[in-house]
Amino acid sequence: MSSLRDILLVGRFEVLRAVRTWRAMALFLLYGIAYGGASYLAVMILHALENQVAKQLMVATTTKPGALLDKLVESEMFAEIVVAATGNEALVEMVKDVPPLAIFGMWLGLLLIPFFAASSAAECIAIDMGNRALRFEALRTGRLEILLGRFVGQLALTGVATFLALGVVWSVGTLFMVGHTPFSLALWLLTLTSRAWWFSIPFAGLGVAASAITTSPAWARVMAIGATGASWIALGFARYFEGGDYGILADVMLQLLPQGWMRMLWEPGLGWLPAALVMVALGLAMAGVGHARFASRDL
Amino acid sequence: MQHALRFVDVVKTYGGKRALDGLTFDVPTGGITGFVGPNGAGKTTTFSVVSGFLTQDEGALEILGLPAFDPWKHRGRLGVLPQDAELSDRHTPLELLTHLARLQGMGGRDAAREASRVVDVVRLSERGSSRIASLSHGMRRRVAVASALLGSPELVLLDEPMAGLDPLQAKSLREALAELRGRQTLVVSSHNLDELERFCDHVVMIDQGRCLRQGPIGAVTGQQELVQWWLAGPPPLDALAAALPDHSFTFADGVLAQRAPSGADLDAASLVLMGALVSAGVAVRAVRRGKGLEHQFLEDAAR
Repeated sequence: MSSLRDILLVGRFEVLRAVRTWRAMALFLLYGIAYGGASYLAVMILHALENQVAKQLMVATTTKPGALLDKLVESEMFAEIVVAATGNEALVEMVKDVPPLAIFGMWLGLLLIPFFAASSAAECIAIDMGNRALRFEALRTGRLEILLGRFVGQLALTGVATFLALGVVWSVGTLFMVGHTPFSLALWLLTLTSRAWWFSIPFAGLGVAASAITTSPAWARVMAIGATGASWIALGFARYFEGGDYGILADVMLQLLPQGWMRMLWEPGLGWLPAALVMVALGLAMAGVGHARFASRDL
Repeated sequence: MQHALRFVDVVKTYGGKRALDGLTFDVPTGGITGFVGPNGAGKTTTFSVVSGFLTQDEGALEILGLPAFDPWKHRGRLGVLPQDAELSDRHTPLELLTHLARLQGMGGRDAAREASRVVDVVRLSERGSSRIASLSHGMRRRVAVASALLGSPELVLLDEPMAGLDPLQAKSLREALAELRGRQTLVVSSHNLDELERFCDHVVMIDQGRCLRQGPIGAVTGQQELVQWWLAGPPPLDALAAALPDHSFTFADGVLAQRAPSGADLDAASLVLMGALVSAGVAVRAVRRGKGLEHQFLEDAAR
């Protein structure tokens, strides 16, 4: 109980500290700009697709993005795009009821959040080991509690950043697009895009682990971003070899890589929850790797 | 508990260099112990081992009756001012200290009250709600000292607490710490040996990771055996030897060294000696009991 209390205290202090420095502001801006820019681009692409579908159907094109959304989501081309983006054919029917911008939001989240979360978490311990500020906490609580507290703090920051990013996507969708009500867009953004936050957990764990290994925040960030990039490359290999000569190895990799569970995160209803739990387990496992070093290192 | 802290043959090696080389010493419970040594002697390493920041390679230690540092068992009982550890400067001293007090197990209100108390102890109340980033180096140092006093721990280790403080700040902090004498065990490391000599009851001298000497400050500096007299002219050595036959006297460079036998009444002897000096018309410019900590340390280090 005392351990959990300390984890929450350390996490709370981590959030407060980040909020008072450029770190949290930079994180929020990064999310906002990335999501805002990308969702505006998505609106433009959807508009172009709508007009392409209109030409195929020999109906009038539109100057307002979203005006032909119902025709677009019924099209073969849109189904192909959804399958390519999510890797899940079963979702084609489900997403007919979902604003495309919400689908795009989640897709973008799954792509970007790993890098953002790993990068942000990478300095949470290293910076305080470098300047020895960590010693003040290390005198009063266990190193596991410090590590998990920083992890929880980073997840809270990522959660706030994700929520703000949803607001940006919603604003772009509401301002520049028709074809959905602001309420339904908000609802679907919350339902779908917030799942991307769960996907951030293993990568935040990876960042925390990197941060616990070195006293250099820059080096920790290089390690965290490098490992995140490597995990995407590993996913590519696993998908390539899936069902082939190295099928068993590929299957194991897909179980261990967070990206191997991405398809399940798209599942409708509560079908995505097992994947969310796996994200938590992988996040703790990643942080545990960092703790193995952090627990016995000189501070 | 007789000893608040005990090191037995502790070794800590960094990259082949022995920072602590079989260090053995005791810190008695209560009072203020000076921890003395030149740069690189192993003072900060010693404090870091006690605090669990570093793990010793060999040897044993006992901290408040427990073997090795354990944050769950020692939190609130051991306070440490780490050297060169930066404070989280985006918070105010009160916020930071409240957070640390809560980590020591206090509830929110108690922690806030305790933070206010220690800020007051280090005479920083008027800046308790300013961002740490806006405080001077000396003020930050006092915040760090305050963190070591949170919860009135039984044992407090202060690594160079006066470093970077101006004379007024140093005096103020010294007075604040002196008020804790008898209630808590304080171990203070410093290069300023004159300061420690005035301030401490007990001293541990280390060099090259080994203990050179330890004991009550009076015994270490020979305050019961030696009195030095700075005189305006040569003293009447024959008259002094006749008046105080158990004592021995030497005179060089204007300083008369009076060595007393063990258990001698130095106050009574000083009256006799001063009488002889007055009779000979020799003025006394200054008097000092013992060698002085610095003198003793330099002597020991040179061996």
